[in-house]
Amino acid sequence: MNEEDVLGPLELRLGRLLFAGVISSALCLGAGLVLWVAGGPSPAANTILTTGLVILMLTPLARVVTSIVVYVRMRDWFFVGTTVAVFVVLLVAWVLKEL
Amino acid sequence: MSLTVIAAVAAAGAIAGGLGSLLGIGGGVFLVPLLHAGLGLDFKVAAATGLMTVIATSSVVSAGTAGRNLINLRLGMLLEVASAVGGLAAGITVERLSNDTLSLMFAVVTAAIAVLMVSRLDKRNVLEASADPGPLGGRFHDEDSGREIVYRVRRLPVAMFASLLAGAVSGTLGIGGGILKVPILNAWCGVPIRAAAATSALMIGVTAAASAPQYFARGEIHPPVAAAAVLGVLLGSRAGLQAGGRARVKWLKLLMAVVLAAVSVLYFKRSLA
Repeated sequence: MNEEDVLGPLELRLGRLLFAGVISSALCLGAGLVLWVAGGPSPAANTILTTGLVILMLTPLARVVTSIVVYVRMRDWFFVGTTVAVFVVLLVAWVLKEL
Repeated sequence: MSLTVIAAVAAAGAIAGGLGSLLGIGGGVFLVPLLHAGLGLDFKVAAATGLMTVIATSSVVSAGTAGRNLINLRLGMLLEVASAVGGLAAGITVERLSNDTLSLMFAVVTAAIAVLMVSRLDKRNVLEASADPGPLGGRFHDEDSGREIVYRVRRLPVAMFASLLAGAVSGTLGIGGGILKVPILNAWCGVPIRAAAATSALMIGVTAAASAPQYFARGEIHPPVAAAAVLGVLLGSRAGLQAGGRARVKWLKLLMAVVLAAVSVLYFKRSLA
């Protein structure tokens, strides 16, 4: 497969993925904020807001995972390697506590 | 946390997001001082909020530029290895660093980049349309000149080091770090400013995602504050992106240099205070 035929659609696909992530996050943040403003701080408002923030933080991770899949299909091992390296760093960021 | 503060945070987010996407930087560089110096939030909370808005800006701007071939996915992914490591290291170690020292370093770096931008206003880093961009270069259609732009990436180690540094600064100060990468990619590595900005905009989301979970685990992300800032930034960055497509490259660079100089003065003052 020609690489330009793959990277162009990949860019669009990643764009749609990022858009979906940020929209679902924004919906949670908007709903949570309305609840927080209308009813004051509550566990429900806090849960919805936190869900929105976690979705936001996971969106770049989802983008990296999609890239890994595409580079594997292209059999472009160098970029599979770099993408996996980025993925590992992002995972470490979630699991690592105090040093 | 009062309603007034939440409304002010949303307004600060809208301003920062608009300027940020117009300049191809995260906007955190405006938001963090607004939240910290302006609204009196704790610096770490301001930085954590900044990181959340950086992820949002990055996603929205990248979704908007996708399909125009401006984003260099290969170069971006390679540089993200360095910037994510820098972000992660900063997210872990930021607790132990003095804010005065970091403010001073940041002031020096932004001042240097402002000078670099002004001295290179007319450089375009463009090859003939038939040229081979090499394994990491790229080509895209430039809306200003109506021409096909081809470029090759030079001095990759410099770009990697700049990304590592940008990642570390991003994770420490809660800014995108595009403010450090874009001028270096443009001035020293041969990447045209539009492509450098679009690639950087994609990268800063991953960079911020490498340090944000650390702030989150320490409880430095305040949900209502972060939500107000993110929503403000999302609205502002949409407006900035639409204006950015029409702005002239030269004006974009000049505007960026002026903004960098202003940021530098602000941080010098903060480090001396």
